[in-house]
Amino acid sequence: MRVQYDLKKSLFETVFLTELARGMMLTLKRLFSKPITRQYPDEKPPVALGFRGQHALVRDPRTGGSKCVACMRCATVCPSRCIHIRFHEEDGRRVVDSYDIEALRCVYCGYCEEVCPVNALVLTEVFDYCEYDRESLFFTKEDLLANWDRFLEDSGHREETYVNPFWRPRGLPESMLPAGKRLKVPDSWTEDGQVVGTRYRRS
Amino acid sequence: MQILIILIEILVLFAIVMLHVAYATYFERKIIGHMQVRMGPMRVGWHGLLQPIADGIKSFFKEDIIPEQADRVTFLGAPIICLVAMMTSLAVLPFARGWVIADINIGLLLVFAMSSLASYGVVLAGWASNSKFTFLGGLRSMAQVISYEIAMGMSLVGVMMLSGTLNLSKIVEAQGDSFWGMYLFPQIIGFFVFFIAMLAETNRVPFDLPEAETELVSGYCTEYSGMRYAMFFMAEYIGMMVMASIGTICFLGGWNGPFTVSIFPPFWFVAKVYIFMFLFIWIRATMPRYRYDQLMELGWKVLIPLALANIVLTGIVKAFTG
Repeated sequence: MRVQYDLKKSLFETVFLTELARGMMLTLKRLFSKPITRQYPDEKPPVALGFRGQHALVRDPRTGGSKCVACMRCATVCPSRCIHIRFHEEDGRRVVDSYDIEALRCVYCGYCEEVCPVNALVLTEVFDYCEYDRESLFFTKEDLLANWDRFLEDSGHREETYVNPFWRPRGLPESMLPAGKRLKVPDSWTEDGQVVGTRYRRS
Repeated sequence: MQILIILIEILVLFAIVMLHVAYATYFERKIIGHMQVRMGPMRVGWHGLLQPIADGIKSFFKEDIIPEQADRVTFLGAPIICLVAMMTSLAVLPFARGWVIADINIGLLLVFAMSSLASYGVVLAGWASNSKFTFLGGLRSMAQVISYEIAMGMSLVGVMMLSGTLNLSKIVEAQGDSFWGMYLFPQIIGFFVFFIAMLAETNRVPFDLPEAETELVSGYCTEYSGMRYAMFFMAEYIGMMVMASIGTICFLGGWNGPFTVSIFPPFWFVAKVYIFMFLFIWIRATMPRYRYDQLMELGWKVLIPLALANIVLTGIVKAFTG
């Protein structure tokens, strides 16, 4: 492509600098347009569906504790190895001793919540959390449960109706999902509702 | 007694000008912000109205860092030279009939002399900081001011010829109080040259090469911090205001307007200065920076010949019309 640096101008355009005037008019017009800035701490940005934010363990309304069954799937699938679980067995059931997430090592891929068979783990919509030291971002089980409580309180979600879209992995037919994952997710989250990326093709 | 009155006048003028400088920065940020479809300062006070005061307090209490390799005395003195030179020009500006601290007969010349002296501050700051960026900024400033001083001085020769005086009050009075009496119309070429040279003299976009952020960090004031940095800024904004006032006095008829505002005589003067300030800011929001050779080319090959032609034309017209 040839770029013509010195555009041909008529005498009128040269003498009265019409191009400068056109540029000036543009900025003057913008002066009276509405700013597109968001006043962040006062106005929170809208959180998109499928946002993966701060970690939380869902509090089971029946037991008051975590839903986790210590199946170790999340710790296994985690690419950054930031989930650490300790458990022992009692009468053939696993009991969680500790459940830790190192938030500073997490890459927020969301694999853990997709793979969890009982929807015990969730990446909430909370994005504005920060601390002055590393220890505070090492979430223990209690921290994670507290994160969940705070999330419910701040966002206004109810724990009976809240469904994280990642709890239902995309692209799997209903029959292949464990019972806990057969959830109703928003239409835009389903395979057919997706408009970006490679479309899942049913064979 | 006379001295006391003058001192009070100076103090009042100083306070008003300082307030104007502070709020000029606010309006600049606000206007540029809105031109770029954002909001500018919003957090300190209602719509950021207290921002300039917060800035002032911040820069006043910040640490004053002096580089080890700097030439101490010159380094400390440079911003003062800049500020004092710029402020001295304020003394001769007539804000309304009789509202002038020093009504001297060489007012216009004094303003020129002082704006040239201010560039000494810039050059010395650039040299004394002992850093590449400041040195380049200082050199550029010197070359730029020398080139554009000529064009600017000659663009105002037409005004001097028409009014026959260098006294700023008399220049305003010579224009009369009619709209068509403004020297803007007979001196349209002079005004064009003056306007561009004014932008270059005050180191404003598109001629802000001495402090070109993209290449020279912050130009001549890179090594300055705290209050001394703020002094350069004050000098720059006072310079803008002085140049806007000269433009108002010499081309837009000074304090004369369509009707007189008896409660506040300088009303029209201030309004016209604000228009100039808005133009400065508007241009800054729109124009890219000139390249150095383009800057020199514009100054020497376009503006100086134009100013000379204007002098000749004015002379011919004056000779024929008497």
